[in-house]
Amino acid sequence: MDQRIVMVDSGTGLKLTEEQLDERSAVAAVRLRHKGVRAGDTVLICLPVGPDLLVATHAVIAADGVAWPLPVDLDQATLRDRIQESAARVMISNVQRALDAAEESRVRIVMSVAELSGASPSCPTGR
Amino acid sequence: MPETPRHNLPAEPNRFVGRERDLDDLHDLVGDTRVVTLCGVGGIGKTRLALRVAARLVPAYPDGVWLVELARFGRAELVEQEIARVLGVREEAGRPLLGTVTARLREQRCLLLLDNCEHLVHRCAEVVAALVAGCPSLRVLATSREPLRIASELIWRVPPLDLPDEGAADAESVQLFMDRATAAGTRLDGASLADVVRLCRALDGLPLAIELAAARTSLLSPGQIADRIDDRFSLLTTGGRTAPARQRTLLGAVEWSYDLLAAKEQVLLRRLSVFAGDFDLLLAEQVCAERPIAANEIVELLGGLVDKSLVLCDEGRRRYRLLETIKRYALERLRQAGEREVLRERHLHVLCALQERHFATEVVEPGVPWPRRFEALIASRELIDDQRVALEWAAESGDVLLGLRLCQTSTGLLPLGGNLREIVGWIERLLSLDTTGVPAEQIAHAMAYLAYGLEAKDELSRSLETARRSLAEMAPDDDFPRCVMHNLVVVVLLRMGRAEEAAHHAEEGLTVATRSGDRWNQAASLAGLSAVALVRGRLREAQRHGEEALARAGEHGHRWLMARTAVQLGAVAEARGDLAAARTRYETAVPWLSELGSDLELSRCLARTGRVAAMLHEFGSARERLAAGTDIARATGQRQAVARCLVGLSVLAECEGDLEGAVLAAAAAAGLRESIGQHSATTRFEELLGRARTKLGDGRTTSLWSRGRAMCPDVAARRVLAGERLPPKAAKAPVTAEPVRHSVLTAREQEIAGLLTRGLSNRGIAGELVISPATVARHIANIMEKLGYTSRAQIAVWAAERSSGSG
Repeated sequence: MDQRIVMVDSGTGLKLTEEQLDERSAVAAVRLRHKGVRAGDTVLICLPVGPDLLVATHAVIAADGVAWPLPVDLDQATLRDRIQESAARVMISNVQRALDAAEESRVRIVMSVAELSGASPSCPTGR
Repeated sequence: MPETPRHNLPAEPNRFVGRERDLDDLHDLVGDTRVVTLCGVGGIGKTRLALRVAARLVPAYPDGVWLVELARFGRAELVEQEIARVLGVREEAGRPLLGTVTARLREQRCLLLLDNCEHLVHRCAEVVAALVAGCPSLRVLATSREPLRIASELIWRVPPLDLPDEGAADAESVQLFMDRATAAGTRLDGASLADVVRLCRALDGLPLAIELAAARTSLLSPGQIADRIDDRFSLLTTGGRTAPARQRTLLGAVEWSYDLLAAKEQVLLRRLSVFAGDFDLLLAEQVCAERPIAANEIVELLGGLVDKSLVLCDEGRRRYRLLETIKRYALERLRQAGEREVLRERHLHVLCALQERHFATEVVEPGVPWPRRFEALIASRELIDDQRVALEWAAESGDVLLGLRLCQTSTGLLPLGGNLREIVGWIERLLSLDTTGVPAEQIAHAMAYLAYGLEAKDELSRSLETARRSLAEMAPDDDFPRCVMHNLVVVVLLRMGRAEEAAHHAEEGLTVATRSGDRWNQAASLAGLSAVALVRGRLREAQRHGEEALARAGEHGHRWLMARTAVQLGAVAEARGDLAAARTRYETAVPWLSELGSDLELSRCLARTGRVAAMLHEFGSARERLAAGTDIARATGQRQAVARCLVGLSVLAECEGDLEGAVLAAAAAAGLRESIGQHSATTRFEELLGRARTKLGDGRTTSLWSRGRAMCPDVAARRVLAGERLPPKAAKAPVTAEPVRHSVLTAREQEIAGLLTRGLSNRGIAGELVISPATVARHIANIMEKLGYTSRAQIAVWAAERSSGSG
């Protein structure tokens, strides 16, 4: 496979190749399915702009879900409203403010970036 | 045992509404994840959802689905105790209970449902982490307001029920309201639907709040309820403004419902919070009847609280209970009313009186027929959780006198009731407090029960010393405990090999018991005399005392005592070589012990029966008895009990001519005994090894012995029970995944898998097939899921092998 670069993280300068994007999003899509994401389900994604966000978005789409990105710098009340509005069952985020805002929502499962890249379905690589 | 149900889940009290998708998701997640914790505020429906999920999972767990309710426990060490109790595991000497539980669950495929972990969350986390680490096939489903925060945990946040949209009013929350209103006898027409929708929104879809509101529809229309709830929430300050909205909503609904109660109903509800768990009418009447409530009003008041969904009851209205959320609220109200101490005190007194009465009926009073004694035993066992709560209060408030009295009034706390250690903990704790003002005779009486517990813990010299002090200080006219002590001393001294002294105590006990007409202790003393005679080799005397003991025990009627004396007679018969008589004696004790549910003694008795049957060459029934005994022993987690059955199995194997099996089983028993620091019955083993060396040769015997020592006890037992030669190590299921049939892939998926072997990117494949890269990604996710793969590269390898294989 060609080593085409598809994204550069503006903060760290790290490059994401097309192969990495395909591979990581495929793995993440399977992880989402194992957490119960079904065709047509909305999945919230609240991650800083960068490779993880790109991978998560691709993964949600590959898992047949509907990606619902949330900017990380929204104020708490707006975050809360958007989360309520989405009626999503699953949220992908490592951002504490988003996790707090998801309290009292309909989000059942919060997945971290680490959990998305876990190798085996029964042993999440959470820290 | 195949007939025992493989779960202990309660019947659902009413219809479960909604959450279909959640149930499906959780069903799969629990299969996939070691620990799933359902989190959320009180009243959101965690327990109900967990019970529903667990019920669906029963067929998937051959070793059972076990509910462990933790709400009523206040102390961290009770977490593993309650798990053990539910599983029927008994504590072993010299091993932490959690270790025994872990060993018991190691090979098992079962699901534990730990309900209401929040108040003991740290200990729950430690226990679950240890269990999951030690038991590879165990799954845990927990409910808790707070997550356990352990590595293998999936936190699943329970949401409220779906709220109605503008257009569709058939949301879950509305369905629940309608269902419960109908159950309350209210018929709601379409006109009230708009109010119901408004109400469900105001209650934020919280199931408990909706149930409390629906229970009021016989008096108030949904519109009236909605108005009042709205008013209340605008004024609501309880719980503070900072509390999460759902918690405030729930508290508001509970408070609204409470405020609507009649004054006496309020008083009763808050008083009901003193009970440990479920309770019956009798207990409620005795504890809660105090101004302004009269005892005869309670049944009606309770009925009113049930109608308002504040108290739950079973179908027959025999047992009542409070939901955890309601109980906490009621307890807070009890505190505010300044009644907590008074009620706790009353609860302690009532428990003392009730348990004393049950104990007298079960054991002490003469001439009570067995069905009545058995009723008392059951009634006493039903009170055991309340007894613990009362003991806790006695210790906390320093009421040593009542605490000690409560300790000596329940067979459920004693080894007799299968509870080996608990009594020791309570009495030691109470005696460590300030005992000024407690009469020495009372302390001596309690020490009798302490000595009893110490014997069960194998602390023989401490037990003997405690028993002697108890005898010296006990009131001279305290005949019953005095005799109990003499008979305990007999057992202890016999175990220490001091038959002479034992005989003296047995005679002393018999004299006092005969004088006071106490059949229980007459039987026990006579059984002691029989045991002493047996040790001294006086078989006829042993037989005579034993027969008389059984006769006295029969007159008393208690099955435990009858079983004990029958087993004694069996041992005497065995000693004189009359195996048929021994077998009959042992056999008679089996149904008695089954009726009592004395699993440890039952397992022991079955092991004896099976061993003797084997020696009589009745192999079929020997196998059956030993299999049953082994199953029970294994369930209790007691290595000593399992070792006893293995010894019986070794005898069976040898009698059947399978000397190798006999050596293996004996070696496995020896290994188990060594693991608990026991080295008994070596002569039996030496003789067996002697015969084995003659027939099989030294080398073969030695190698069998060391193989058996290292063998898993279950495997050794199965080896004899199945009468088959198993391979030395249990065959493991192949680890590799079953061969994948490519027919599970669609044509398009197979095409994409083929393109992956060429190293194409999603974009490259998309270009090739003229579809979007997102569609390629979706196909790849499907392929990975179907094949169980975790990377694209695996698909490529698989596809390459397939095409080279077929081409």
